[in-house]
Amino acid sequence: MAAVRNYVPETLDEALLLRKAEGAVPLAGGTDIMVQGKRGIGLSPEIGKPVMVISSLKELKGITMLPDGSVEIGALTTAAEIAESLIVPWHVRMAASGMGAVALRNIATIGGNIGNASPKGDLPQPLILLDAEVVLISFDGERRVLLDAFIQGSKKTDLHDDEIIKSVVIPPHDFTYSYYRKIGMRKANAISKLSLSAAAVVKDGLVVDFRASSGAAGPKVIRSREAESMIIRRPVEDIPEIVPDFLEAWDHAISPHAMPKYRRNSTARMLTRFLEAIVNEEEPGIVE
Amino acid sequence: MPLTSIDDRVVRVDAEAKARGEAMYVADYSFPDMLYAYMVRSSVPRGRILDIHVPQLPDGYYFISAKDIPENGRNELWMIQKDWRCFADGDVRYVGETIGLLVGPDRNILKYLLDNTKIDYEEETPAVTIDDAIALKGGPIYGEDNILCSLYCEKGRPMQEIFNEADSVFTETLETGFQEHVHLDTNGAIITEEDGKYVIYVSAQCPFYVRKSVAGLLGLNPEDIVIRQVTTGGAFGGKEHFPDVLCGPLLVAESVIHKPIKLVFDRTEDMLYSVKRHPSKITFRTALDKEGSILGIEGTIYYNCGAYLSSSYVVLQRGVFHANGVYDFPATYLKGMGVATNTFPSDAFRGFGAPQTLFAIETHLDHIARKFGFDPAEYKSRYFIKKGGETVTNGHIVEDVKLPEMLKQIADASDYYRKAAEYGIGSGKGIGVSFYNHGGAFTGNGEQAIIKAHARLVKTGERVLIEVGSTEMGQGFQTALRKIAANALGIDIEMIDYPNPDTSLVPDSGPTAASRSTMIVGKIIEDCAKEMRERWDEGDFSVEKEYVHPEGHPWDQSTFRGDAYLGYGWGAAIVEVEVDRLTNEVKTVGIWTSHDIGHAIDSLIVHGQVNGGVIQSLGYASMEKMENRNGHFRQESMSDYVVPTSMDFPKQEWFLVDNPYQWGPQGAKGMGELVFNGADAAYVDAVERALGITVTKIPIPGEDIEEALENV
Amino acid sequence: MYKEIEFRVNGNKVVYSGNPLTRLVDVLREDLKLIGVKEGCGEGECGACSVIKDGKLVTSCIIPVGACLGSDILTIEGIRDTEKGKCLITAFRDGGAVQCGFCIPGMVMAAYALLESNPNPTERDVRIAISGNICRCTGYDLIVESILLAASRGGELWQQ
Repeated sequence: MAAVRNYVPETLDEALLLRKAEGAVPLAGGTDIMVQGKRGIGLSPEIGKPVMVISSLKELKGITMLPDGSVEIGALTTAAEIAESLIVPWHVRMAASGMGAVALRNIATIGGNIGNASPKGDLPQPLILLDAEVVLISFDGERRVLLDAFIQGSKKTDLHDDEIIKSVVIPPHDFTYSYYRKIGMRKANAISKLSLSAAAVVKDGLVVDFRASSGAAGPKVIRSREAESMIIRRPVEDIPEIVPDFLEAWDHAISPHAMPKYRRNSTARMLTRFLEAIVNEEEPGIVE
Repeated sequence: MPLTSIDDRVVRVDAEAKARGEAMYVADYSFPDMLYAYMVRSSVPRGRILDIHVPQLPDGYYFISAKDIPENGRNELWMIQKDWRCFADGDVRYVGETIGLLVGPDRNILKYLLDNTKIDYEEETPAVTIDDAIALKGGPIYGEDNILCSLYCEKGRPMQEIFNEADSVFTETLETGFQEHVHLDTNGAIITEEDGKYVIYVSAQCPFYVRKSVAGLLGLNPEDIVIRQVTTGGAFGGKEHFPDVLCGPLLVAESVIHKPIKLVFDRTEDMLYSVKRHPSKITFRTALDKEGSILGIEGTIYYNCGAYLSSSYVVLQRGVFHANGVYDFPATYLKGMGVATNTFPSDAFRGFGAPQTLFAIETHLDHIARKFGFDPAEYKSRYFIKKGGETVTNGHIVEDVKLPEMLKQIADASDYYRKAAEYGIGSGKGIGVSFYNHGGAFTGNGEQAIIKAHARLVKTGERVLIEVGSTEMGQGFQTALRKIAANALGIDIEMIDYPNPDTSLVPDSGPTAASRSTMIVGKIIEDCAKEMRERWDEGDFSVEKEYVHPEGHPWDQSTFRGDAYLGYGWGAAIVEVEVDRLTNEVKTVGIWTSHDIGHAIDSLIVHGQVNGGVIQSLGYASMEKMENRNGHFRQESMSDYVVPTSMDFPKQEWFLVDNPYQWGPQGAKGMGELVFNGADAAYVDAVERALGITVTKIPIPGEDIEEALENV
Repeated sequence: MYKEIEFRVNGNKVVYSGNPLTRLVDVLREDLKLIGVKEGCGEGECGACSVIKDGKLVTSCIIPVGACLGSDILTIEGIRDTEKGKCLITAFRDGGAVQCGFCIPGMVMAAYALLESNPNPTERDVRIAISGNICRCTGYDLIVESILLAASRGGELWQQ
């Protein structure tokens, strides 16, 4: 019954030391760890490893616009703060504002949502669409990794034993069309059953950029560069004939086990709708 | 003294203390020297217990099990029968069956002991579904055929003759799933001893049920045990018999330990290891003429009862008695069978068996109407039963049936006929309709023959105390009953007290169930109040009365023939939806209901009951999916078993028709269950019309809609 | 490293020196006897344990006490005798918002957090604000109406 020790570091250095020396798991908001370690009424959660509550570390908070137009979001920034920030890209704000309900959004953090690496997590999906990078810090300094590479599978990341997630950096984009949709088991306060983001840049009748990402569709967020490349640099008028092959490639990319027919079909219908907006040269902006 | 009129809207007596956070629910109580209890439960659905390994217990810790029941006690909980064991002994019959209690002062230590208690089983093949039970999977659980209970009703000419004459027979099978109560206040109880008596504080609907159920464990009489109901945070039937399953083991533990012991479930326990609504499988064979008119209906109704009977036979009876809905068909034959499976016993849940058959008959009639090109509202209204009409139990409807008026109210408010015509089948928009009823109080003469409810008023000075065993669980009864008494006494409601019942102080007014409290207990209190008013000047005195059943309405409980219910609540619902064709997400855009509950005792309380019942029913139809795989429930938390939030359904429009019930207090009938009984079918009808699909099973989340779309 | 977690609950200083993963709800209910804070699900899904932490609505069952360092926590006990609290509670009472009552203290806290930031909410604003607070009894209509009633009755009060 020897209980593991839990900590509240005062500084980032203390946190990094605890991380290195004891392998303490960082707890940012607690919305995942407190549930995973839940033991019932009147009992403190336990996850079998030491936990450090890093909620108060100021170094890991805040949203800033970098000189190159990228947006850096500190790991301890909450979903509510992200949803309300006008400098955060639209897809990410949408995902943040649809996370759980009010109280959860006031607690849950971007660092926690990424570190937990649940396939159903709300934020990784649009972040991966946008080619966001995660900044990891340790005593050896910082390293930046593409989020798509950092999350390796369900609950698996490339976080080293001595590292803490410091921030997420989202490069700038200027999409002609954007799409975001989350389907939960109910209209609010729901875990994602399926989510989809899509974005495209269309210039002079040519699809210059096209991307999509599916959440809760496999062990991790799905982006299929192979499928995307079928659309990129193709003239708009060619799209209708590409759609069937593209949808098949996308369907192939998403995990067969995690995706019963309903989710597959819904994904295909939503992608079709998005491509239809491009083909019909609808008013640029958000595709409903 | 200001008079409280029955039509005044009054402030709920319990509202302010609850909103201030001062009301004490069971988890809020603690006693000096109090110990905690954790349940050791079966982890397999069916098997023999070979061995139980409990870790070495530190001083002051106990493992209580069947071995602790004294020689003069019996290991049984007396619900309707005595088949549900307090502790599993020798074998286990469902996942979550109580094997023992770990009791001690420190919850961390108890949790360690619980996590390290190992039970060896010789596992057997479980039967989980109705089909498993019928196929005797793993061998019979009960008797030779797994049929725990059964009954039939017959009306009109024999169905075989009718089938022979029919132009066509429309056959379909409809199914409903488990439903979990999700009362926000989980199950819990605390036992202690006061003045040499066992005293149980419990979150419960029926304190007198508890003491009857558990006394035999120690060879005691019910009066030897005192039950004090504490503020109960929702129940919906889930705290009708189930508190016995907590209180029984606690009583045995108390007889060994003699200290206060608290057992409160956390949400996971309450979700996985508590009773549920009976899943059903209902097959209708309907004989039709060539115009699509109904000549007769045969229904075969299966309810999944789980491993023990609990209240299932009574639930099944109500299901069968409601299986022709609000209609008067020329002939019917209805057979109900409750089957035993290795799942957690199914038990009472708002509607008590009626919602399953009402969903089935409504949806079945929708399908027939559509097949013959009729509007379902028009088609169904041809068959509305009327006053004097023969019921499926060969009794008669003794009151005016105002369904045509109710349909008009909601059809006008919703613009039903225009929308029904305009929204094409498969257009993405749909409007649906349903009709339903609920027989008030216990079936037949059960109130007089079985329950024999007593209620008492006590006058002290100018104040009057209501003494009944009926409970407040959120439905507003403490306010409604005070209002009935105040009105009959001609005094202000503030002069009347009605605390939570203590079985040692109040007479047994019967269970708080079956939508009977206002109708039956309210009536007794009204009669007591009338007498008290006449004798008001006699000083301090009390008036106690027993329920008297109206004459001239025979019922034979052995053949199920006669007037099953004297006062039905009646309902009509319209639901409008828009379905997203990309995602199958259903958006409900309008809900209109009309109910006949006799004369409403308090419009604000009724408003709340209507809203809540309707949303629970819409949750049942749309999102509340509880699956059982190999005997284990798959949904264990409020994130995977979801109930509606404030965002899921729009504001409701609701109507009442005034139809005073001659034997009810101030004309009131029951309503608590009625308002659950029908919105589900209207929702399904709307979704079917919007998408052009046929639904035969609820709930219908997006996945199931996708499946139905594939079958179009 | 913090050996003690110091914070305020309803204006009173609290110093906690135990396990920093102890759930805030347990500190409030068991140590401070603030039983108006209810536990409904233990995983932040139902909102019964809602409290206000530094002006924001949170579910105390998934907040570790270690995350409360320097925080101001407000529970139903801390607002029920204030003008705003009384305004909400009487509106809930008069508007028929209360049935079994178990969700109501948390619901009042959610309404309080809403009206503090948005004194003139629409019906939709109210529905969003309480969408993390599950009520199994009422179907929400009368709760929504009661919150709108509190907003209109309170008027100026919510501008302060």
